[in-house]
This record gives sequence, structure tokens and C-alpha cells, in this order.
Amino acid sequence: MVDQPIVQVRDLCKTFPVKHAGGVSTLHALSGVNFDIKRGETLGLVGESGSGKTTAGRILVGLIPATSGTVNLFGHNITGVDAKAQLAAVRSRLQFVFQDPYASLNPRMRVGTAIAEPLDIAGTYSRKDRNDRVAELLELVGLPRNSIERYPHEFSGGQRQRIVIARALALNPEFVVCDEPVSALDVSMQAQIVNLLLDLQDRLGLSYLFIAHDLAVVRAVSTRIAVMYAGAIVETAPKTQIYLSPQHPYSKALLDAVPRADPAYVRAPVVAGEVPSLLDPPSGCRFHPRCVFVMEQCRQEVPLLKCSGSDRRVACHLFGNGGSNVRETM
Amino acid sequence: MTEPLLSIRNLQVQFRADSGWVTAVDDVSLDVGEGDCVGIVGESGSGKSVTALSILQLHDRGTTRMPSGSIQYRGDDLLRAEGAALRRIRGREIAMIFQDPMSSLNPVLTIADQISETLRRHQGLTGAAARKRVVELLGLVRIPDAPRRADEYPHRLSGGMRQRAMIAMAIACKPRLLIADEPTTALDVTIQAQVLELLRDLRQELRMSVMLISHDLGVIAEFAQRVVVMYAGRIVEQAPVAELFRQPVHPYTIGLISAVPKLDSDAARLTLIPGRIPGPQEDIPGCRFGPRCAWVQACCRDASPSMMSVSDLQSARCPPRVVALGAPHG
Amino acid sequence: MTDVAFTAAAAAPRRSGVLRRLSRHPAFVVGFSIILLLALCAVLAPLISPIDPSAMKVRFRFRPPSSAFWFGTDQFGRDIFTRVLYGARISLLAGFAVCVISGLCSAAIGVIAAQFRKLDGAIMRLMDALMSFPAILLALGIAAALGPRVSSVIIALTVAYIPAGVRIVRAAALTVREMDYVQAAQISGASSLRIVARHILPNCFSPLLVHLTFIFAYAMLAEAALSFLGVGIQPPVASWGNIIAEGRDYATEAWWVMLFPGIAISLAALSLNLLGDALGDLLDPRLKGGA
Repeated sequence: MVDQPIVQVRDLCKTFPVKHAGGVSTLHALSGVNFDIKRGETLGLVGESGSGKTTAGRILVGLIPATSGTVNLFGHNITGVDAKAQLAAVRSRLQFVFQDPYASLNPRMRVGTAIAEPLDIAGTYSRKDRNDRVAELLELVGLPRNSIERYPHEFSGGQRQRIVIARALALNPEFVVCDEPVSALDVSMQAQIVNLLLDLQDRLGLSYLFIAHDLAVVRAVSTRIAVMYAGAIVETAPKTQIYLSPQHPYSKALLDAVPRADPAYVRAPVVAGEVPSLLDPPSGCRFHPRCVFVMEQCRQEVPLLKCSGSDRRVACHLFGNGGSNVRETM
Repeated sequence: MTEPLLSIRNLQVQFRADSGWVTAVDDVSLDVGEGDCVGIVGESGSGKSVTALSILQLHDRGTTRMPSGSIQYRGDDLLRAEGAALRRIRGREIAMIFQDPMSSLNPVLTIADQISETLRRHQGLTGAAARKRVVELLGLVRIPDAPRRADEYPHRLSGGMRQRAMIAMAIACKPRLLIADEPTTALDVTIQAQVLELLRDLRQELRMSVMLISHDLGVIAEFAQRVVVMYAGRIVEQAPVAELFRQPVHPYTIGLISAVPKLDSDAARLTLIPGRIPGPQEDIPGCRFGPRCAWVQACCRDASPSMMSVSDLQSARCPPRVVALGAPHG
Repeated sequence: MTDVAFTAAAAAPRRSGVLRRLSRHPAFVVGFSIILLLALCAVLAPLISPIDPSAMKVRFRFRPPSSAFWFGTDQFGRDIFTRVLYGARISLLAGFAVCVISGLCSAAIGVIAAQFRKLDGAIMRLMDALMSFPAILLALGIAAALGPRVSSVIIALTVAYIPAGVRIVRAAALTVREMDYVQAAQISGASSLRIVARHILPNCFSPLLVHLTFIFAYAMLAEAALSFLGVGIQPPVASWGNIIAEGRDYATEAWWVMLFPGIAISLAALSLNLLGDALGDLLDPRLKGGA
């Protein structure tokens, strides 16, 4: 019971109807996603555009409804019949940090009011407690007290991100989904915000779902990493393992493609092709058109996420035999 | 030593703001030789894009001025070029590609139409000859199914394809110099790797010089032969790429390299540069990096430092550090 | 913990910038000054000219402008200057009332349309129907039906100008709904009412405000037209429109009767347009993201 994951996602699927000249098509954003997050850990969700990582993050906090599958947060199923009530029960334990620091703060609201908004919505805080809490939060994220009276446009991108984090922490959440929180920031600011997130995790015992496309940033933050491609998870592993010995051909390709700040590094040949259209995904394994190891089975059969080592899972026919289906072991 | 292809000397660029003229770029001097590959790296506010746009006079005349400096290209000062002379250089001798291909491509014209425009203007090609060349160029940038793609509108292509189309437009007249302003920033990692590989190959095939601007040190390390580091409107260091990473001199360069998250590092926290990047209107006495510098001394605030040679090929705008390394002055 | 060093200049707030910039924008200064002057004239009319605007002095019929009668007199010997001053009250009041009431209604309807997609279709078709009538004809019809008085004019013009405002507010509201900060409020469990009141409405304010300055001007001109046509304010109550109407028959002999109220209307409309332009230039870019 102690080790029960706080987040459990099973067979999560999400489709969007897309209207166009010929009628309505279906965009398969997520196809059968499975993962767990334990208390105190950070799961890094990595992928390129079309991977579905942002969609998954938003479903987890109830911003978008799932099409099918289950999402269990702290034991509450927010995708079932009484999803709304279940979500309301766990709402105060979840939060979200957005990517764009210029769009995640109301330009007409003072910073103090913005940070206090979750408290005001909860409605159970006295005026004094509320103001004390705002001051406490500002200190927690390293902003001066006089920020309370100021407006967002007076702050830089990195500082705004701190404000967004302060707001997210207002009600002491236990689980925070961070959607590309540093992608829009300069390198020197990225490091500050990443360190802030790590410090807060230590101090407050937070668990994170850290969504990013930058593998190096994800490495700095995560305990475990899940790699997504075209709507499905292709590999999960503890963080060092992914970097040392990636199993899935896409994970390898992704790592190979990242430029290194080292002129002497010689890069492996770049993977060809592009992310497939989610309106008409390839049959079988979605990566097969670009995979150098492609076999006939890959075109026909969708590989399932299977156990392939200690705390490692991969969805690839190369590892097809000998591993047990992940759902049985969960 | 042969004449450099492009020689920027003491360039200063100012923009008009409410409070008067604000200096965005100050005292920038750099050379690009024949067949050279120069990388300009910096964060936001560094002035790298402003510098690049100045070369082809792409700034808004009403609100920009260049009170001092010159940009020599094959004997002409580009800053004083006008009318026909300028148009002859743009697209034909010096070409430029930008970060966001969607806003750089005209959405109501097909790819073929847009590339043909350049061919017609500079080479007088029309009709079947132009079409043939267009398909040839699209093949050169590795767009599959080129004859069909040529008749597509930009919105039908993916981000990677659009960037390739942009590159095709830029190299149509075999320019001597290609300026690439953050060409891969908006692309996925694997597509970025493909486009960088393409640029590298084209550079060799067409014997073009390339000036690559990026905030990503990894991209610079992989692509550039010489690196120019900019901070808050000034060049702070210039060096061959290997030297820059092996022995960075300027404290900002050192900080930047350390702050970049590494794929193979297991540090608990990222190294960071304290403070934030100053805005162009902020008046900082002496060295603009001073307030954030770990090595700052009294002399740094007294006078604005000038570039000093560390060796034949490497120079940095930091007298204390250059002297400490025992390097010759001048 | 993390080390955040601020340079002194960076820490200074730039908030008071908006007012300062407004005061330096020539269009704003001119526009605001004129309309303020006209408003003061309206309010202080009895002090500026102690004469009764309806007082008829048959002895002084059709006097041209002179030191005794600054704007001359009309066919009943009434002082035009005083009538224009008192007319300002009606015209500015009508314009202002239409502006405010239609603004409030537009804001409410626009936000409802953006928030409740099911009602959106019906509301916008209704707005389209209203907009298909030229505003002045619509107002004419309503005013004629309700009877010729100030309140009819105000009601008629309000109804005529609501649809344009609704479009503006709805467009702004639809954009704001997709912003991350609204989603953040949703995640924290904010009710729809809270989101509309604290996030959507305040951010629709700028475009609406600019639009409303133009509505003020249109409403004043429309009131003048309606009164001129006889379905608005009736004499002896003075409004700029009906002064012009009464002077129409004597246009050649007593040109001053039509001229001065005409100048007053033009000045008021011009100043409001200048104000609107200035606000449009200054308000939006400042607050969108800043930096």
C-alpha cells in the first residue's frame, strides 16, 4: 500500500475529430498509453511533435477528457463515470506548470492576486493567512516581496516562470505536471528554473511529470524516463539506462540526433523521414517506416510495451520474446 | 592572408524607443572568409540576429540607425548600398534563411512559384527552364517526390520540409554567403539533425560560406568552424570551435558552457549563471557582464573593456582573464 | 537556494508608463481636452450663460452673431449660444448613455456567446439580423414607435449599436479563453463565473473601450440626425440636432443658426475619434505580454 503509485495510467487513448473539406477525419493523438508515477519520483516524458506528450499531460490534470482508458490519481479514477466528482476530490493535490511564461499569467492581474488565485478559489483562507501564504510562496521561488503589487509585464521570462511555479504551489500540491517549463527560456535561465524545481521537490516532497523535448534537460530532472513516439510510449527506463543503453530504435535515433556541446563528438548517421501523420498512422509499429531494423512483423503487428530488464520496458518486436506483457506485472 | 568575403567593423545598431535611441549592437567586428563557417552564439538580447539582419539592411529604416561601423563585402560597404546594388546582392550573392519557415514563406503561393521568383529575378529563367531548376533544387535539399511537392502550398508541408524549401530558395542562385538565423530552433531534434546535415553537405557542394546564428551551443559545436560569442549587444569572445570549448576565456562563455545541461552528466544540480540578462536600455558602467561575473574586479566597472587577443585566432573582451592567462596584449 | 541578483534599473517598475505615454500622445491630448471642455460647458451652462435658453425675445429675431449674442438669435429671438450650451447637455448625455449601456450589454452578450457555444449560434444570427439594418433606420423605427423623447433616442441607438460591440467582445473572449492563464484557473477549479469575471472580461476591455469612443461619436451624430428628422428631442428642449432642424428653413437668411451647433457636433465627434485612435495605439500592445 505504501508503494502504491500515485498516478496510474492504463490504455489511455485520445482522438480528436478534424474537420476538413472532405468530411471529418480522426486524429489519433494517444493510442494505448500506460505508465505509473510513484510518490517522490519524476517521470520524464520525452518526445518530438506529434508524440502526444502534451495531450497526456493535460488529460492527467483534467483539462481534456480522455477518449478511453483509465487515469487513476491518488486512487481516484478521473476518467470513469463520475469523473467530475473524482477530479474535484483530488484537485487540490494536482497542479500544472505551463510552457509559455508570456501566456500563463493574466496581464491584467497583479502578481500577488495571480499567485493567490488557487487560495481564493478554495475559499477557506482568511485574509491574513492568504497574504502570509503569498509572501511565503514568493520567498520559496526566490522573488522579492514587492512583486505582489506588480504586473507580469514588468518581469522577464524566467521571473514569470517563477511566478507560475509559485501559483502552482499555492495549495501544497503533491503532483505537478510540468509541460516544457523551460523550453521558452534562455539557457542561463533554464538552469535556474530547473534547479528551482529540483530544490522544491526536495523541500516539499513533490512528484513530477516532466514533459520536454530536450533530452539533456530531462536527464537533469528525472528519475525515470518514458520516450513517446506518435501517440505511444516506446520505452521506459531509469534515467541513466536510457542514456547509456537505449533499447528502442527511436530512442537511439533521438539520442543520436541531439547536438552535443563538444566539437570532437562524431555523430551517428541521422535517422531519415519524419513523424507520421496522426490522421492516417502507419500500420503495426508506428516507427517502422523510419526504422533501420524493420522486420515484416513490424508492419503487421503493433508491439506492446513489455518488460525488458530491471525496471525497463520497451515496445519493440526486437525484444518481443522473453519479456512479459507490462500489464500483467503492474 | 586573403581578403575576407565579409568584413564587419565596429558595427553599432540603434533602435528608437520612447526614451530615445537604444543601442542593441555595439562595437561588433567579425570576418567571414571564403568557404568559412562561422557560428554566432548568444542568448536573447545578445544582438546576434540584429547583426545578421544589418548585413542585408533588413531593418526598418524609420526606427533603426547605424551611427557607426561598416560592413565590407567584396569592396562595397553594404551599409551604404542602395537600390539596384543592394538588390543585386540580396538573394544572389548573400542569402538568408530564418527561424520560422511558416512566416518566411508566402502562404498563397506554391513552393515552385516562390523559388521561381528568385530564379527569374537573378538569372532570368522562366517557363520550363525555371521549372526544371526548381525540381532540381528541391531534390538537392532532399525533399522526396520533388515534382509533386513543388506545386504544394506551404501549409501542406511539415516544418522540416518548409525549412528545406526555404533553403532551396536561398541557394537557388548559388550565393557566396548564406546567413542562417536560428534555422533549426523551431524543428524537432531528429529533423534538426537532418537539416544541419543538409546544410553541411550543401556548404561543401556549393563551396558557400555560412554564418549560422543559434542560441544552442550544441548546434554551434557541431556545425561551426569558428565561433563568435555575443552577450548584451557585444562580442565577448571569438575563437576556433575546438579552442572555445577546450579553453573558454570570457566568464560568460565559461558560464554558458557550464549551464548547458549535458546528456552524459549526472550532476545533482545544473551550474548556473546568477542574475539575468540586461535589457538594451539598461545602462551598465564598464563591462556589461560585470554584475553577474564571478571574476569581476574594480577595473571592470571603470571602463568598457575592448577585445584582447589570447592567441592568433582567439580573442576575448575581458582584460583580467586574458592577462591572467598570460597571453600577449593587443 | 537559487541566487537571483537584480540590477537596480531592472527592479524599477514601469507601470506608470501608460498614463505618461497617453499625456505625450498629441491626438489623445487634443481629443481629451476638447471633449472635456465641451462637457464642462454642458455642466456649467447656467453659470456661463444665465439666459433661459427657451426665452423668446421677439424684438431680437434673427440677429447675427455680435457681442450681445455670441452665436446670434433664431426666429424666436432665442440666444443660440445658450441653446448650444444647453444642447450640449442633451447631446453629450445621449452619446454617453448609449456608449455606456450598449457597452455593458455588448460585453455581457459577447462573453456569453463566447462561453456557451450552444447559444453562440443563435446569438450571432440575431446580431447579424440587427446589423443588417442601417443603424439609423433601426433607431428611427424604434424611436418613432416609442415616441419622441430623450429616452427613446437612447434606447433606439443602444439597440442599434450593440451588435458591433458584441462582435468585438466575442472575438476577444474567444482568444482569451484559449490562453494558458485561463486553463491554469480551470485546473485550480475556478468556476465559469470566476473565469469570465476575473480573466475574460478584463482582457476584452481594451478593444471594447476603443470601440466605445467611436460609438459615443456615432451616437451623438445619430441623435442629431434623429432630432433633425423630428423623431428625437422635441423643441423647445434644445439639442444640437433640433437647433439645426429649426434653422433649416432659414438657412440663407440666418446661416448662424445651423452653423454653430454643426461646429459643436463636428468638434465633439472629432475629439472622440482622436481619443479613440490614441487609445487604440497605446492600450493593446502595452499589455500583451510586455517586455
